[in-house]
Amino acid sequence: MILSDSAKLQISQTAKRYPKVRSAILPALHIAYEEHGYLSDQIYEEIAQILDLKLIEVAEAASFYTMFPKAKRGKYLIQVCRNISCALLGSHHLTAYLLDKLNVELGEITADGLFTVVEAECLGSCTTAPMMQVNAHYYENLTVEKVDRLIEEFRSQK
Amino acid sequence: MSDFNITVNGRQVPVIKGQTVLQASLAAGIDIPVFCWHPQLVPVGACRICLVEIEKLPKLQVACATIASEGMIVHTDSPKTIKVRQGVLEFILAHHPLDCPTCDKGGECDLQNLTFKYGLDYSRQHEPKHRVIVDANSTFDDLQIGPEIIRNQNRCIHCYRCTRIVDEIAFEDDLGAYQRSYHTEILPPPGREIRNLYSGNIVEYCPVGALTNDDWRYKVRVWLTKQTSVICPHCPDGCNMKLWNFHNKLFRATSRANENIDNGFICDIGRYGYQYVASPDRIKRPMVRRSGELVETSWEEALSLIRKQTDDIKSKLSGSGFFGFIGDIRTNEEIYAFQRLLRRVIGSNNIDHRFHRRRRLTPGEEVSSRGIESDNAEFKDIENADVIVVLGSDLHSENPITSLRVKRAVKRHNAKVILLNPLPTPLGKRAATLEVIYKQGTAAVLLHGLIDAVVDLERFDPSAIKLSAAEISDFRKANAAYAGVRGSEITGVDVTLVARVAEILAAAQNVFILAGSYVERDPLRDSLHLAVANLQSFCKSARKIFLPPDSNSVGAAFFGAEPTVLPGRQSWGKKAIYEDLWHGPIPDAPGKDTIGILEAIDEDEIECGLVFNADPVRLFPDGEYVRSVMEKLKLLVVIDSFMTDTARLADVILPLSTFAEIEGTRVNWEKRMQYSQRAIPPLHESKPGCEIIELLADRLGVKFNQSKPSDVYQEMARFFPTGAPTTYAAIGRDGFLIRSAETNKPGKLAYLRFVAPAIDTEYRFILLVGNADHHRGTLTERNEILMKFTGEPFVGISEADATDLAVSDGDLVKVESKYGRVVGKAMILRDFPSKRVLLPENFGEMSTNILMGRQDKIDMIKLAKM
Amino acid sequence: METKLLTQHVGDPQQHTMERAIEHGAYQAWQKVLKEIAPADLIQIVKDSGLRGRGGAGFPTGLKWSFVPKDSLKSKYLCCNADESEPGTCKDRVLLEGDPHAVVEGMMIASYAIGCHTAFFYIRGEYDIGQVRMSKAIADAYAKGFLGKNILGSGYDLDIVVHRGGGAYICGEETALLSSLEGDKGLARLKPPFPAVEGLYRCPTIINNVETLANLPHIVVKGAQWFASLGTEKSKGTRIFSVSGHVKNPGNYELELGYSLRDLVYGLAGGILDDRPLKAIIPGGSSTPVLLPDKIDTKLDFESVAAAGSMLGSGAVIVMHEETCIVWVAEILAHFYMHESCGKCTPCRQGTGWIYEILRRIEAGYGKMEDIDTLLDIADNIEGNTICPLGDAAVVPVISTIKLFRDEYVYHIEHGKCKVHSQFKLRTK
Repeated sequence: MILSDSAKLQISQTAKRYPKVRSAILPALHIAYEEHGYLSDQIYEEIAQILDLKLIEVAEAASFYTMFPKAKRGKYLIQVCRNISCALLGSHHLTAYLLDKLNVELGEITADGLFTVVEAECLGSCTTAPMMQVNAHYYENLTVEKVDRLIEEFRSQK
Repeated sequence: MSDFNITVNGRQVPVIKGQTVLQASLAAGIDIPVFCWHPQLVPVGACRICLVEIEKLPKLQVACATIASEGMIVHTDSPKTIKVRQGVLEFILAHHPLDCPTCDKGGECDLQNLTFKYGLDYSRQHEPKHRVIVDANSTFDDLQIGPEIIRNQNRCIHCYRCTRIVDEIAFEDDLGAYQRSYHTEILPPPGREIRNLYSGNIVEYCPVGALTNDDWRYKVRVWLTKQTSVICPHCPDGCNMKLWNFHNKLFRATSRANENIDNGFICDIGRYGYQYVASPDRIKRPMVRRSGELVETSWEEALSLIRKQTDDIKSKLSGSGFFGFIGDIRTNEEIYAFQRLLRRVIGSNNIDHRFHRRRRLTPGEEVSSRGIESDNAEFKDIENADVIVVLGSDLHSENPITSLRVKRAVKRHNAKVILLNPLPTPLGKRAATLEVIYKQGTAAVLLHGLIDAVVDLERFDPSAIKLSAAEISDFRKANAAYAGVRGSEITGVDVTLVARVAEILAAAQNVFILAGSYVERDPLRDSLHLAVANLQSFCKSARKIFLPPDSNSVGAAFFGAEPTVLPGRQSWGKKAIYEDLWHGPIPDAPGKDTIGILEAIDEDEIECGLVFNADPVRLFPDGEYVRSVMEKLKLLVVIDSFMTDTARLADVILPLSTFAEIEGTRVNWEKRMQYSQRAIPPLHESKPGCEIIELLADRLGVKFNQSKPSDVYQEMARFFPTGAPTTYAAIGRDGFLIRSAETNKPGKLAYLRFVAPAIDTEYRFILLVGNADHHRGTLTERNEILMKFTGEPFVGISEADATDLAVSDGDLVKVESKYGRVVGKAMILRDFPSKRVLLPENFGEMSTNILMGRQDKIDMIKLAKM
Repeated sequence: METKLLTQHVGDPQQHTMERAIEHGAYQAWQKVLKEIAPADLIQIVKDSGLRGRGGAGFPTGLKWSFVPKDSLKSKYLCCNADESEPGTCKDRVLLEGDPHAVVEGMMIASYAIGCHTAFFYIRGEYDIGQVRMSKAIADAYAKGFLGKNILGSGYDLDIVVHRGGGAYICGEETALLSSLEGDKGLARLKPPFPAVEGLYRCPTIINNVETLANLPHIVVKGAQWFASLGTEKSKGTRIFSVSGHVKNPGNYELELGYSLRDLVYGLAGGILDDRPLKAIIPGGSSTPVLLPDKIDTKLDFESVAAAGSMLGSGAVIVMHEETCIVWVAEILAHFYMHESCGKCTPCRQGTGWIYEILRRIEAGYGKMEDIDTLLDIADNIEGNTICPLGDAAVVPVISTIKLFRDEYVYHIEHGKCKVHSQFKLRTK
């Protein structure tokens, strides 16, 4: 088993809150993602087993949403909002700047394993554009200086 | 019939309440194009090609999902409708590869046809086509997603018919749609294949060439082929199929939707089953035994030999020295002609078709003389039941399309499905409300215990059933040993589970009982039949069907292939009618059944056998005994298409044509008689059964002049109910029912006396014979495609027994009975009861009949790791 | 001037706690409802208030509630739609993070009105703080006895379940939200049946937006009449407008409906960045048509914005100055809709991608003159022909930008480059 006992317990507890257990697929995927940082066929199988659902139900649902990637990412997953409000304030430049600074291609992991930069659609931070989401957290009103400082912080935290 | 009218394109179109605009329009002959819609699937309105204009509604509406309402004015050819239709086609074609010249769907592709009819003749799409790259070296991007199915995602138009068929119709879970937007991709779940029993339907109903299968792929163009309408010969469901041939070679089978039976969905066994027709193993020419070896010869020589040898036997033993076996998969015409040959020409009533799955009951069992038969019931009645009881049947494997009807009842109105079986079956996880596993041989006790539990319920209403209070209370008293905990000790079924089943039955308005092969194999078979009738008496309304074992078992029983009844289920007293009809005498007394025949051979009372498409050596319990008996025959004539275990013992073999090479009728479990066309002429030197029988009859001295099935049919027709069609041409699409007028009325309650079989300490395991995936009978072994699904023979055991014996999956184990032994690879089955062993019955290399005794009630074996 | 009704306390960093929220009057409405108001009366009050949905479509809330079949024996469900994903929109987030108790209380009131005993709070997966604060608020409400069995002795039971989305704009569409909540892919469903009749688990279901629900405590406490006195004749109450893009003070501003767009952009939002000339405004989120500067005096209410040729939508005001290439804007939005199409129906699945690809090509300098008409015709083949409104939304930016800025498209195609260069740089500091 890949999932920890506590994750398994959390998944089966969550399932009890819903009138139908299938509704617990998304929460289960979140729990698994938070524990592992990415998902795999094996995790799908385990979730299906815990919830007594069909593998296909878990696999189809997971594939539909953007938050359950199957590829491994860097320790810090940087998602730069590419949508209109951010774009008007330089988000394309922000992406390019990050890629250049981290010397990495979009979607790939930096050599030190720390960063992956991807573009995201609107993240609901339009009045504080441009922004990026690093793992679960939002970093808003970004400037070159702020980005530099953040990257330094991440690097020093490792 | 119609409730009101709507107006479509200015025409009045009658509507039955609840119909969609599409259904009403199609019924009225107004064409509305569709891709995602299918008459048997819930409309999803995904493809949007059926958008039509409805007055007073601001937007166009999908005809497939819009319920027609009175006064609706619909336009299917208005400028707006035409434009959006062209738009949808343009959208679909934008990224559809234009590889039509090499696409197998070409000529029968909905996208081609609708583009031809409604599409634009130019393209505005200049962007690179989206492509799911599977093979960078080829533009086809074919991906094998199952043993037989190939996916080309680029051609997919996202109608989701395939995933909906798998989910809604088959209740399977081996195909899904992943990702989103135009990336949406059709795939089995990770790490798995699509290999469910109904998987071929997704190819048939794919509107484009996104899903194809190996049997048809790249072999022939559809417009060159000819189609014939046949009835599937593989199980008693009697599905309607089309066979597609080119230059007398078969290329595929597809469904021929019949709402009475299959609704257009056939199982893979039927779909790929035709392949045995062209097997290189076919017996190509007549054969005779010379110096111990079977050698090919001419028809003339073979027939002369038969004449000569039968003359000798006849002069010595008269007609009673002969017997005939005929297989249940033959047509009614062949069965009728065969029994006439035996009775009238040879003078023997020793005829049977029940040479497998049956054994004579041993004395000591209380059996009423009253025969219990199936009620008059149809597929549609299953759908209308609110509770369906499946007793002793792996319905999924044995009657795949009946199984679909059960699922449909679940899907359409949440019918409750109760499985009562000696082992877990595939239907359990897919559709069962409750699955009860009883100890083999105790089903009658279980039913009696269940009746008691029903009566025990507060909600049980004696006034709703047709039994008196005295009858009920007497029955309960007599039943005390099988009720509650005492019954539970015998059956191994928890009392609370019995109570839950009882709750469901007591609440049921309309029960349908399907009893299958494990009922026929049950050691208390006749008592069990009575128990089923008893259960029926305690239900408010119930019908029961004893599912016959083979595709034409019902026909074989009806048309005289049994020693004690004459065609039309007529008793011996009516003999004169037949003598009149056949211009000559038939024997005075009824003949011997399978067991009697074998014993008579053993005692030298029978010296000659005609075995017509039957393989008792392979199928009848105690195979070694059957072989030794057959070897004693002076003359064994086998009429068959393949070199069966029985044929290997023959003195003369006559090559027989298969179902595709003959025409004739079959009767399914509903007692529905259906006509099957001849698809191709007989292969090699084989001949259709009726022709062979006429040749034999002629050679043996009586001419019937009925070598054509249609001639035989006309004679048989006198035994049909009045008004039934007397010619093939008159048999319509629906066939006709040959049932008697009997009502579905159970008789008096029958009491059970159950004596537990003595426990043999040496043979501690109960043998259960079942089905392997995609495997049925012995013909599927001649079929390359089905063999891709079936895998190897196996010995199924429980997890607990595996631990006990230190056996892992794939280890060789020895299965041994008093009569014989087989060796096979162990397969550990989840949720399988312990002290049982499951052997698939269909593998030649692991015959199960050699493990069985002719007299035993229950087959006990021992199991050891090799 | 802002009219701070919903956002009155969001500036208070402790407002998300139960203590502070109660200090500010939270759950008074809920107690009043339980004690004094019958569900039918509650529906009438909300009808009388004139409250309309704040999610985008502006459907009257009380009327929506009244579609729940009274005689149905099935469970009824309420879903709070916090799947805020419309580009330009972040006003729900303000409430979720700033005053979660108001949203919880709104859900309670709505649940009570429709006879729901299990309500779902569907929040977009990316909103982390919102999810944490809402979960805490709900847990605290249980602790206080505002949720659970026999709430405050009223005999009424209610549970609220927090459900995080997985990252899909389409799940903001109500039928897709239900599919997602059921554990399926977020695929839109055919209507009818409408969710109020057959929604979650095939039971009657009401889906209300966060901001809509947050209005309810105020309506209950202060009355329908009071609420109806705010705003215009047909657009009652306030709305939170998210102002983003080229303005000096972007932010969320709560305004009485009918407020002037000019006062919002040039007043509260401080005017255009670098004092450049205004080029275009999207007044209600990316799915609403663009307005030219000549519409700057439009009043921000449902009817006036519609009269100006756009829609009030989600209240997201996106401001663009003269340096903005309009083809580039259309391309960005087209990419969004392509990415977020659920893929179920043909026109949206294929059409959104095609539109994007053509715009991408024009933007890259390889446009052809016929592309413009092709774009309009593709849009026409999508609009009104899809299962859900995503298709209709997707064509809005294309149609409206071509309509208002056709010359810019022509320039782009003729010259193979932008008329203006939208190479917006990240600020240094």
